[in-house]
Amino acid sequence: MTREEIIAEINAELAEEFEIDEAAITPDAPIYQTLELDSLSLVDLIGIVQTKYGVLISKAELPNIKTFAQLYDYIEQHQK
Amino acid sequence: MHDVLIIGSGLGGLECGALLAKHGLKVLVLEGSNQPGGCMQSFRRGGLHYDTGLHYVGGLAPGQTMHRAFAQLGLMDLPWQRMDEDFDHVIIGGHRFVFHQGYETFAEGLAKDFPHQREALQSYIRRLQNITAADMDVCAYDYLQETFSDELLLNVVSAAAMKTELRRESLPLFNFAHTCSSYIESSWRLVGDGNLLVNRLTDIIEEAGGEVLTYSKVIRLTEQDGRVISATCANGQVYEAEYFISDIHPAVLCELLEECPSVRKTFRRRMQAAENTCGMFTAQLRIKPGALRYFAHNAFVYDKPNVWTMAEENEPVKGVMISGRVPEDGSENVRQIDLLTPMPWHECKEWIDTKVGRRGDDYKAFCQRKTEQCVALAEQYIPGLHDMVEQCYTSTPLTYRDYLGSPEGGAFGMRKDCRMSMLSFHSVSTPLPNLLLTGQSIILPGIEGVTMTAFETCGKIIK
Repeated sequence: MTREEIIAEINAELAEEFEIDEAAITPDAPIYQTLELDSLSLVDLIGIVQTKYGVLISKAELPNIKTFAQLYDYIEQHQK
Repeated sequence: MHDVLIIGSGLGGLECGALLAKHGLKVLVLEGSNQPGGCMQSFRRGGLHYDTGLHYVGGLAPGQTMHRAFAQLGLMDLPWQRMDEDFDHVIIGGHRFVFHQGYETFAEGLAKDFPHQREALQSYIRRLQNITAADMDVCAYDYLQETFSDELLLNVVSAAAMKTELRRESLPLFNFAHTCSSYIESSWRLVGDGNLLVNRLTDIIEEAGGEVLTYSKVIRLTEQDGRVISATCANGQVYEAEYFISDIHPAVLCELLEECPSVRKTFRRRMQAAENTCGMFTAQLRIKPGALRYFAHNAFVYDKPNVWTMAEENEPVKGVMISGRVPEDGSENVRQIDLLTPMPWHECKEWIDTKVGRRGDDYKAFCQRKTEQCVALAEQYIPGLHDMVEQCYTSTPLTYRDYLGSPEGGAFGMRKDCRMSMLSFHSVSTPLPNLLLTGQSIILPGIEGVTMTAFETCGKIIK
């Protein structure tokens, strides 16, 4: 998948799943605040990425993913 | 109105119920089947009680892993009997190795057979005593390979871990270590059946004004303003409570949450798509009176050093656990022996649509064949066992599925995977703040795992 395709797909999925306006998802927006993530819903986010792209976000990498742009980068770099 | 409603009366559900009752809370436990206890329940045939899942418990001596927990639960004054000092015997390819109680004696005992691995054994027992949550991300098999250069010893130390699902690529060291370590501290059998545990926990709940109801299968949970307010049973009864605890398989729980808007699809999908562990085949043998002397230890017999892969191999059975039941009449001889071996779900495929007692002659023949294979292997430890057997009762993953509601008959709940620990180890919390999880699928299986999880669950209510 191209980066643009990843962005379009993951944004739509996250907006639906976390019940937020898709327009709020911008590359520089902070993921945790935008999606109102807590420790449980963070696991849901990891689950979505794993299910849709076969990409597992490791515990070690998690602190480095703070914005949506960093999430797109991670998926793009790790997708099979 | 109850303080806490618990769905399912397996060990975790009853332990939560007893802990909360001891804190003065009024508890209601709803069990879908005709008998409480889940894997701890026993059944009676021909005047003898047979256990379904209870064989031995580790760490019950004062100061050890399970003593404090069982003391708090009111279970320490049950008739526990310490097993032989050599509590587990391992036979691989005809060679016998012995596990001794106590970490140092355990390591030194094996060092006699593997003197070139003495340092590795010392390192191993130190590691077992220092397991942390970080070990959820460590592959048990990789760790063992790095620790033991002798492949046979790697198999020997893993041999008694048939109490969990040995899977090379995924089993976390956290689970492997918890499966092994408390038994090395000390090993115990209950003199009597698992119903002693079930009845004791039930009594504690009822003495505090709570109830354990059977034939009460919950079919729906109702949410209001972001909290669960009631549970509806198949018989039409509706029960309200402040808190709800699920002791059923999380995938089954998700079916009850269909009408709860606070539970995201992703949460449901994650629970329902999670892989289950393999099941077990059990042959419960009734031994002829006077035919076999009781032995207060277990034996694990493998035909070759393939402890980590034998469950994936086709028939015949490659490994078997042998566990005897303490004679309750003071006799020196044993009347009941359990033989257990892992059994993957795909071996049940032919009979998936069948129900208990109606699986047909080919299923009976399958169980008979499997029993004969287990007995043949067990004869390496008990010569002549075949001729000592008076009666045999068998169970397969289908039995677990139909009696215990365990999807795919998984004996150890949902699989834990060191490669994705965040997705496979679960929080006891859920998206609904007054709905909590407990049981073997959440963090750790086995009596120790379920008990520790029950304390974690109750800790969210008893602050």
